[in-house]
Amino acid sequence: MELTINEKLIKTESGVTILQAALKNGIYIPNLCFDKRLKPFGGCRLCVVEVEGEKKLLAACSTPAKDGMTVHTETERLAKARKTVLELLLVHHPLDCPICDKAGECALQDLAFKYGPSQSRFTDERKHELERIDSPIVERNPNRCILCGKCVRLCYEHQGVGAINFIKRGFETKISPAFEETLDCEFCGQCIDTCPVGALGSKPYKFQARAWFIDEHEITCPFCGCGCTTNLSLREGEIIRARGKEGVGINSGDLCTRGRFGFDYIYSENRLTQPMIKKDGTLTAVSWKEALDFITEKLDSIKAHYGPSAIGAIGSQRCTMEDNYMFQLFMRDVIGTDNIDSAARFGYAKAQKAIESAFGIDDLPITWDAPLKADFILVVESDITSTLPVWGLNFILAKYYGKKLVVADSKETKLARNSKQWIRLKPGTGVALLKGIMKVIIDEGLYDIEKASSTYHFNTLVSSLFACTPAAVSEITGVPEADIVGLARAYAASKKRLISVTSNASENTTSLNTVLAAANLVNLMGDAPETLQVPAEFSNTLGMWMMGVRPLKGGKDLQEMIYKADDIKSLYIMGENPVVTFPDVSAVEKKLKAVEFLVVQDISLTKTAKLADVVLPACSWAEKEGTFMSATGATHKIPKLVSERGQSVPDWMIFRNLARVMNKDLGVKGLDEIRLKINELLTSGEKKRVKPSFNLVEYDVIEKTDEEYPLSLVTANVLQHSGSLSVMSKNLDSVVSDAYLQINRNDAEKYGVEHGGFVKVESKRGQIYLKAVITDEVPEGAVFASVHFAHARINTLTYPSVNGGVPLVAVKIEGWKK
Amino acid sequence: MERYRNNVTLCGGTGCTAAGSLKIRKAFVDEIKNRGLSGEINILLTACNGFCAQGPIMIVYPENIFYQKIGVADVPLIVEEHFIKGRPVERLMYKEPIKKQPIAVIGDIPFFNLQVLRALRNKGLIDPENIDEYIARDGYQAAAKALTVMTPEQIISEIKRSGLRGRGGAGVPTGIKWELCARAVSDTKYIICNRSTIEVEPHVILEGMIIGAKAIGAHKGYVYVRSGYPIVIQRLNLAINQAREYGLLGENIFDTGFNFDIELFRCADEFVCGEETALLMSLESKRGMPRARPPYPVEKGLWDEPTVINTVETFANIPQIILQGADWYRSVGTEASPGTKIFTLTGSLNNTGLIEVPMGISLRSIIYDVGGGLEKGRTLKAVQVGGSTGGFIPEHLLDVPVTYEEITKLGAIVGSGGIAVMSDLNCMVNATKFVLEFASDESCGKCPPCRLGTKVLMDKLIKIAAGKGSEGDIDLIEDLAVEVKETSLCGLGQTAMNPLLSSIRYFREEYDSHIKEKWCKAGVCRDLCTFYIEEEKCKGCGACARACPRKAISGEKKKPHHVDQALCIQCRSCYETCKFGSVGIGPRSLREEPFCAPSAAAAGKGE
Repeated sequence: MELTINEKLIKTESGVTILQAALKNGIYIPNLCFDKRLKPFGGCRLCVVEVEGEKKLLAACSTPAKDGMTVHTETERLAKARKTVLELLLVHHPLDCPICDKAGECALQDLAFKYGPSQSRFTDERKHELERIDSPIVERNPNRCILCGKCVRLCYEHQGVGAINFIKRGFETKISPAFEETLDCEFCGQCIDTCPVGALGSKPYKFQARAWFIDEHEITCPFCGCGCTTNLSLREGEIIRARGKEGVGINSGDLCTRGRFGFDYIYSENRLTQPMIKKDGTLTAVSWKEALDFITEKLDSIKAHYGPSAIGAIGSQRCTMEDNYMFQLFMRDVIGTDNIDSAARFGYAKAQKAIESAFGIDDLPITWDAPLKADFILVVESDITSTLPVWGLNFILAKYYGKKLVVADSKETKLARNSKQWIRLKPGTGVALLKGIMKVIIDEGLYDIEKASSTYHFNTLVSSLFACTPAAVSEITGVPEADIVGLARAYAASKKRLISVTSNASENTTSLNTVLAAANLVNLMGDAPETLQVPAEFSNTLGMWMMGVRPLKGGKDLQEMIYKADDIKSLYIMGENPVVTFPDVSAVEKKLKAVEFLVVQDISLTKTAKLADVVLPACSWAEKEGTFMSATGATHKIPKLVSERGQSVPDWMIFRNLARVMNKDLGVKGLDEIRLKINELLTSGEKKRVKPSFNLVEYDVIEKTDEEYPLSLVTANVLQHSGSLSVMSKNLDSVVSDAYLQINRNDAEKYGVEHGGFVKVESKRGQIYLKAVITDEVPEGAVFASVHFAHARINTLTYPSVNGGVPLVAVKIEGWKK
Repeated sequence: MERYRNNVTLCGGTGCTAAGSLKIRKAFVDEIKNRGLSGEINILLTACNGFCAQGPIMIVYPENIFYQKIGVADVPLIVEEHFIKGRPVERLMYKEPIKKQPIAVIGDIPFFNLQVLRALRNKGLIDPENIDEYIARDGYQAAAKALTVMTPEQIISEIKRSGLRGRGGAGVPTGIKWELCARAVSDTKYIICNRSTIEVEPHVILEGMIIGAKAIGAHKGYVYVRSGYPIVIQRLNLAINQAREYGLLGENIFDTGFNFDIELFRCADEFVCGEETALLMSLESKRGMPRARPPYPVEKGLWDEPTVINTVETFANIPQIILQGADWYRSVGTEASPGTKIFTLTGSLNNTGLIEVPMGISLRSIIYDVGGGLEKGRTLKAVQVGGSTGGFIPEHLLDVPVTYEEITKLGAIVGSGGIAVMSDLNCMVNATKFVLEFASDESCGKCPPCRLGTKVLMDKLIKIAAGKGSEGDIDLIEDLAVEVKETSLCGLGQTAMNPLLSSIRYFREEYDSHIKEKWCKAGVCRDLCTFYIEEEKCKGCGACARACPRKAISGEKKKPHHVDQALCIQCRSCYETCKFGSVGIGPRSLREEPFCAPSAAAAGKGE
């Protein structure tokens, strides 16, 4: 349609508001309560415009543009109206600019300058409440609040949380958590970024700089696989703030708690600054020369004695593609071994294996807006809003737009709360549910039988589902039969389907079988492989995988290197902390202590590093240039923004230097050359194309509960942390700094557990003590804990599983009474 | 079936109930029983009969004798004199204001006979808790007609032709509203009755909603009631249950296959929830703040479904329009504002209460003919039309015909139908201040013009009323008020400016005297008036001294009295008591200087 704004003819699609049409065509209309992500609010009254034929002034943000409309946005009448509204706001706004962090970036300042009066005609009382500083991260200053409502609406509509709202009425209106209690939310900080004035502030950033002291640079977040672009604010070479900017990056300004506040992990006191060699049992600082010489000597010796296959390597899902490329090149060319793997073995490797077996393709990155394009979304036992939070927002948004989001999860997650239907199944039974769905679809003929039967092993699938009747599945999963049948029918009846499963090491309810079952369902309905979305967990998981950090020619994988073989005599670990994050920590420790020569290359002195013979200090994110590949398959260039800590060196450079010392130069000098090689690697090689196939999947829990160990331990991610890296961040620790056991109130009563009290948790592999949190979010019969914190040693209880069954842990608990 | 000699209706509306009509009813029932008349006299409690200032009221049929201000103590007298001896009791009859002559028959009382009852046609006639009585007065006939022989298009067409305008305030033509909603495509639609604060019998609301539901295609209706009206809530619940029992609500009404049910929703007492979209938010259990429009509720209303919201009065008109036709409806009223309107008369009138008169009647006629004119000794200063945020209309404009267009031209609104008569005893500055205090308190807080503007204006008026006003204030607040009206999101902020703008327009001299002379001539703003006794006029009767709560007046019998300004709290009791007009209201300055009566000062004497 066409409309005229300020005598300019504008062509626009239908269904937009006047404000949207104007902004798209470069016409600015002043506004305070408008946010692209949110429904129009129409509260600030600054965007009022004159429309010919209308007596009243209309708010451009909420008035639909109509064909043939004539709009004026800058008239005397409007100037007067805006001036008065601003006058009213300014009279009641404290003159805090000299001490307000928002100064220089403040919408009220900008609008007052352009549209406001330079003097007020009257005075009036202002609010004089105390600031609320009683929660971590977020500081609230209600005196500065202009009640635009963006924080409230963003938290509720967009984030799916709703931690704050308007309370009271009229002049007394303020924005607050319920009953004016302490703010308790995700602390994602989205509200802080959207607040146009200084009413919401970031405590870590407070008083750190005036806006005009800052240099801002874009970078990709180092935590999860979303690959969000954050804008880092640097002052005198130090990162003091991260924020999202509208329209920037795939996240378009959205960030989670980690992305927004976790950047300070690089400033941890724990950072390694010098190479160290263990001399007489103590790690002693040495020069790079001495360290590399020593490594050369030791590795040559082990190679000579036992052969190259006695040496293994563990790469990093967080190091750049260049780092990982050089690592595997080093191990293959210089050491001559194919024994290289990573912690993705417990996570993404399973997904990749399933995808390959089911669809015959090498990889399947996620599509960012897949949830928005689907009609029916099924999420199976995956806390997407904790693992890939910003991508998870698209699921919430999809539900908000009326798509049917069904979440099958034993725990009440944010995604479950925001779903259309929450199917509360027992932990680890996702495979059974998926099989049950397929059985109903097959029995009721809700699929294209010709298409499905042309896929390999269709008959195997059908017979494998024989016993998976709704009754049987209901028995296993605890889900009512009617729900299973209803779900299957609704799934089959939808036009555009989506299934999402997160397969990663820190969530042990999904397994290889879960992904295979989901893939079977995709093939059964004849849907394209993209119907299945299994994201790569961390910032460079996919990139690292592409670099070949996994056995390619019969080498040993992680399972074999750590948990089985005795013939690994030396391990080289880069950017990974097995002693904390790998399952069955006792076995890991035993192995690491047993190897003859252990090298750990990392940014901080982790628990694993403490066991090493040689520790090498590596540059962290933002201290080195590099490339990440996020879960969507997009590559992101990471700039170098701050100077290296101490004598740390980028990982890729360490391998280049080490290779030279070992007399086998890798033939690459710098990043440009590495990138050329990487490009070759990515573009060459035939992509394996095998025919798609159904796969035999059994529902199987590896460790079943019994009388002695009656509860299942589910390991889960918390939103505020990512692996064990984020715990180095003081900001994130100020929100969550401890692991705790989440337990249902009935179980708590049964086992004598008090809220906030300690509880002993024991599995076949060991015991630990944790603080207990009683909550209805977790079901009876299962307890939940996160694996991020080294001191909690959760992985004492777990065990590795790379194939098939669900690795739930059977535990017994005892409330510890003082 | 019982046939009584007399049927007696007692008003059971909120006002009369508060004044004791339930006790009176019990007293009657007992007395009649004692006197053996139970089979002859029927005592009935009806919904509000409208003559609230004179309550508790009752009517004796078939003679149509009207009694007012009755108490429990009067019951034996009435039974003895009227029921048994056939001599109506003059003492309890209505007295016309000029010569105080009693008027026995209700049809002779102008307050009643000048009204044209349509929405209130059952006023004072039936028991609101008995569905059979409603049905006996043609109740649910219109619903039957609409559901069994009319199509939705026919219903809408008739309503459109009638020209009925929404009686909630804005005056949107009801037929058009229904038509827009009927056109919207959705399986789920809603019909809502807003703010059941007018006390008609509940069944007419239900019937109107059934007809509306058929017209637009809704199967669920809500009556949105404020929690502070327990009698209304109780009667509505009863009525809904009775209607359900009779199959008039629920599934397959009149065997037509049409399903419709109604639920009561109790909300908090918030003024802003009278605004359509705020009401919808409240119904959805959200904070009652208006939302951006468009989309309008007829397209996206409750739970984003097409919804019609109308007030009680609008629904109360619907059944008769269906039964008697659009032409009948148009037979009173004006071309653009046909039909009748319910008004609430309050203020310094002789007859205050609830009335229903044809649109187009002049304001003067409402006040003097129906309202019986001003109370003794009072002169009319202004009339606030439209409710708490209606504009003020001065005496010289009283001939305005009361229609939507004409009233709006004068800067007022028909609104909720409130007509508040203000006399010389009212101060316009104070009245405006009161409105702004109300608006500021009720503002939801969403938009700056209303949230902050009403507060700034309120503060300014408080200052002016306290004698702290300054030159330029009036221009400033007028300017600000115009902008607040221009930019406010909803009707609360917009209409709250009406009293201010109209009072400045028509009563600027009062503002001037408050600001420049620090003088409230009506004697309302306590900081700006001084009460003194004019010696020449004072007869020394001592009535003022007796009326004074602070014993601030002294004087000997038959000698001029004197007010001690140190003790006086400016309560105005002396002024209102004095029959000789000896109490004068002077400016504040009068008590700040060494006091002397104005006449003595004028004569140049000292003390």
